[in-house]
Amino acid sequence: MPITAVLVSGIVLVVLGGLLALLVNPKSANYIQACGTCALLVAGFYSFVATRSVGARFTSNLHPQVGLDPLSGFFLALLGIVAMPVLVFSTGYFDSSTRSRLLAWLSSLFLLAMVLLLCARDPTLLLGGWEMMTLIPAVMILVAHPREPKASRAVWIYLGVTHIGGAGTWVAILVLAGHHALGGPSSLHLAYGIQVLVCVSAIIGLGTKAGLMPFHVWLPRAHPIAPAPVSALMSGVMIKVSIYLLVRILIDWLGPVPMWIGIIVLALGALSAVGGVTSAIFQHELKRLLAMHSIENIGIITLALGASLCFRAQHELVWASIALGAALFHSLNHAIFKSLLFLGSGTFEKYLGALNIDRMGGLLRKLPIIGVSFLVGSMAIAGLPPLNGFASEWLTLQSLIHVSQFGKMGESLAGALALVALAVTAALAVLCFIKVIGLVLLGSQRSTPYSKAMEPTRPMNIALAFLALCCLVIGVVPGLVFGYLIHLSPWQGSHRLSTGLYLPGGDSLPTLWVTGGLLCLVGIFYLARGTKTASESPTWACGQDLSPRLLWTSSGFSKPLKMTLQTLLRPSRSINTSELGNVVQKVTYQSSVPHHFESHLYAPLHRFMLTQAVRVRKLQSGKLSVYVSYLIGLVIVALSLIRLGVIR
Amino acid sequence: MNMSSYLLGLIQVFGGIILSPILVGVIQQLKAVMQGRRGPGIFQPYRELKRLWGKGLVNVAGTTIIYKLAPVISSSVLVIAICIVPISSRSPNFGFGHDALVLVGLLALGRFSIAASSWDTQNGFGLMGASRDIAISVFAESCLVISLAVVMLSARSSDLRTMISVTAGPERWISPVLPLVLISFTVVAITEIGRQPVDNPDTHLELTMIHEGPLLEYAGRDLALLQWNMAARHWIFLVLICQIFLPHGSSTLVQLIALPIVILALCVVAAAIETVVVKMRVLEVPRLLSVGTVTAMMALLALKATL
Repeated sequence: MPITAVLVSGIVLVVLGGLLALLVNPKSANYIQACGTCALLVAGFYSFVATRSVGARFTSNLHPQVGLDPLSGFFLALLGIVAMPVLVFSTGYFDSSTRSRLLAWLSSLFLLAMVLLLCARDPTLLLGGWEMMTLIPAVMILVAHPREPKASRAVWIYLGVTHIGGAGTWVAILVLAGHHALGGPSSLHLAYGIQVLVCVSAIIGLGTKAGLMPFHVWLPRAHPIAPAPVSALMSGVMIKVSIYLLVRILIDWLGPVPMWIGIIVLALGALSAVGGVTSAIFQHELKRLLAMHSIENIGIITLALGASLCFRAQHELVWASIALGAALFHSLNHAIFKSLLFLGSGTFEKYLGALNIDRMGGLLRKLPIIGVSFLVGSMAIAGLPPLNGFASEWLTLQSLIHVSQFGKMGESLAGALALVALAVTAALAVLCFIKVIGLVLLGSQRSTPYSKAMEPTRPMNIALAFLALCCLVIGVVPGLVFGYLIHLSPWQGSHRLSTGLYLPGGDSLPTLWVTGGLLCLVGIFYLARGTKTASESPTWACGQDLSPRLLWTSSGFSKPLKMTLQTLLRPSRSINTSELGNVVQKVTYQSSVPHHFESHLYAPLHRFMLTQAVRVRKLQSGKLSVYVSYLIGLVIVALSLIRLGVIR
Repeated sequence: MNMSSYLLGLIQVFGGIILSPILVGVIQQLKAVMQGRRGPGIFQPYRELKRLWGKGLVNVAGTTIIYKLAPVISSSVLVIAICIVPISSRSPNFGFGHDALVLVGLLALGRFSIAASSWDTQNGFGLMGASRDIAISVFAESCLVISLAVVMLSARSSDLRTMISVTAGPERWISPVLPLVLISFTVVAITEIGRQPVDNPDTHLELTMIHEGPLLEYAGRDLALLQWNMAARHWIFLVLICQIFLPHGSSTLVQLIALPIVILALCVVAAAIETVVVKMRVLEVPRLLSVGTVTAMMALLALKATL
């Protein structure tokens, strides 16, 4: 079987690359790893497009089994298309120190853990891959930042939250396996209670790992602190693998779930989308801002997934497969542009030595290739035509409108609210990324002079340009990807393969025409505009020189929004004026938008747990007599339970 | 594709590109008359465009290609938008389709490019306008999408031509759906074309301006393009109001004859509003748009109740 051969050779190359990184030098090792991921991309893509399955089918037995089917193939291709440029980028990003070698080896392991999870066909490998996928990034962050209290705190929060939440994944998979329903149509016979249990625990467990609000607290801490290529893998691939499992459990393995589960998924998606982007707007650190946008995009994916569940409950299978396709399509698109943006921010960090967006500026001229790629990525994530983000958001919008159409009054209202949430999210994402490209790429240099710690190398430029090209190509011919995605649904969805997107009911997005028309018109208008320049003049600033102190900041640009949403965001501000003899000497102004989930949900929960822990500790008094009485009590309880026939 | 379809397409593109500045001129003239002034005549926008077209461009120091491309991209977007918005239910397809959500995306692209240009010049007034424009657009876009969605629900399609034919005929106006959506869409339209009480197109006062801000650094043909953009937006939104949200006939001929009359009537209304109503505070605008969104939600519930 060719797929198996390609897949195995890809895995072998990734392993080999990891070992070479430890022994020889990380640069050549990274190229070998990149070749391996390229093979994974080919294997996954072939399996996805040709709808070929190899290896075992899903089994509920605890014997390790591996295999590949089109859905896994799609996510494997997603992993490959992101990991390949990320690894090429790493050759320029990391030096040849021991730490970099360790990181290169660990990224091999990280990729293998995700490949294992995608190819696992039984509960043991699934859960084993799941745990490895959670643990390895934590190790990578600790290796990258040794003995930094901030990093270790972030890692502990990451491990704590994902493990408490991740218990949901264990419950969901083990309960399904216990009912022999892993991958089988036998799940149709599951009792209502079991079905609900599996759904809720899967949403909590996988939602935590995917960064879905309100389980997201770890994400904005852990993602920005990792080195840029690792952040790109975490945001680009790891959280998508959680989406993979969510799709498997909710759509592939369970039968039609009750409508209210679909509505809850819609609500969580809407909360994540709007909440994520709103917090992103008020961030000043580029990578943290991007991490917040991951929450937003996971929200959009979840909205489409929720729409798919609703359609299935309404027995609208054609639209169920379209909405599922939209969710998977947005996963792919987000993987591409988010890794592009993280790699871009890594370049800026190396170039400038800092990531505060208020201190950047003018990078489009200094780093043209990286700058233009970053601009393309920003426009894609903001959902602007004719890039890939717009195509998948268009599909999601269409799905939500149809949830409204097919549903009764309540469902219809839920669909309409989700629709408004998505429209608001798209507009807020435009606000956020216009601010980012304005502060980072455009205009002139701001406060700090460029330290030029490191110029981007050619592989870094190629990696970013490749990802930007992917955004553009998928945006121009989305139908070629989406047509195959429709076939991934367990119900036979049919879609005619074309370059644009055409849905039943006459909704059409002829992307090729729109892109062609835009390009032609831009050319015509640019020529018509001419070059008759009167003069070169400075920017008008009421007759003053436009010094860096007069330039706009990110807080200034988002201020109108902050003021309109004052009641919701409750921003805090303080102005301190120090005077000397009625002459103002110094004014300090501080303003921030607090994270309400942390202060109103997690902090009280944290306090409650600690006080309860103090109470429980009283049981452990350390006196021998108390422990003996515990034992006697246990024996009495056990005996009486046996006497009553509860334990046999 | 028959003769009438070609004719419709021609009228649509010609009207949107060539005739749209007249709309601005008519509103200006009517406003002048209502305020007791003589007014410059309805062809004043053309004179201004001609004057600007002959002038030289300004090259702002320290800018990138984005500054040069912004008016160009924004104009291209609007030309495609003019092709997308049909003037009748039998308008031809120019290849771009007639999808309402594509229109929303294209308008966002135009807004993005203009805001990017003000970041590029770093002009404080430009950024002030752009930041307000984008903050308001958050509310405007949700209101726009939901009000279009209500019509899409009754048309079972997001194709604007289907939406025109479904909303045609007086019997549609017995139910409260269309009147309610008309309210919410009008609010969006006023915001998008920068008319009072949301924005004042006749002033450059920095405390109040929204759309005029980013224009400050432009001159010559760039400024001409940007001024034409505003006129084209008038065309797009007024045509949408006429052919979808206001009562209209189901035959192409009736739709075609009624179009100029109703657009003229809408210009009178816009001028009357500008004369009577004062401009609202910038941060009150989101509240107005939220009212629009809620109205559209009510329309949705009314639609579901009548089905």
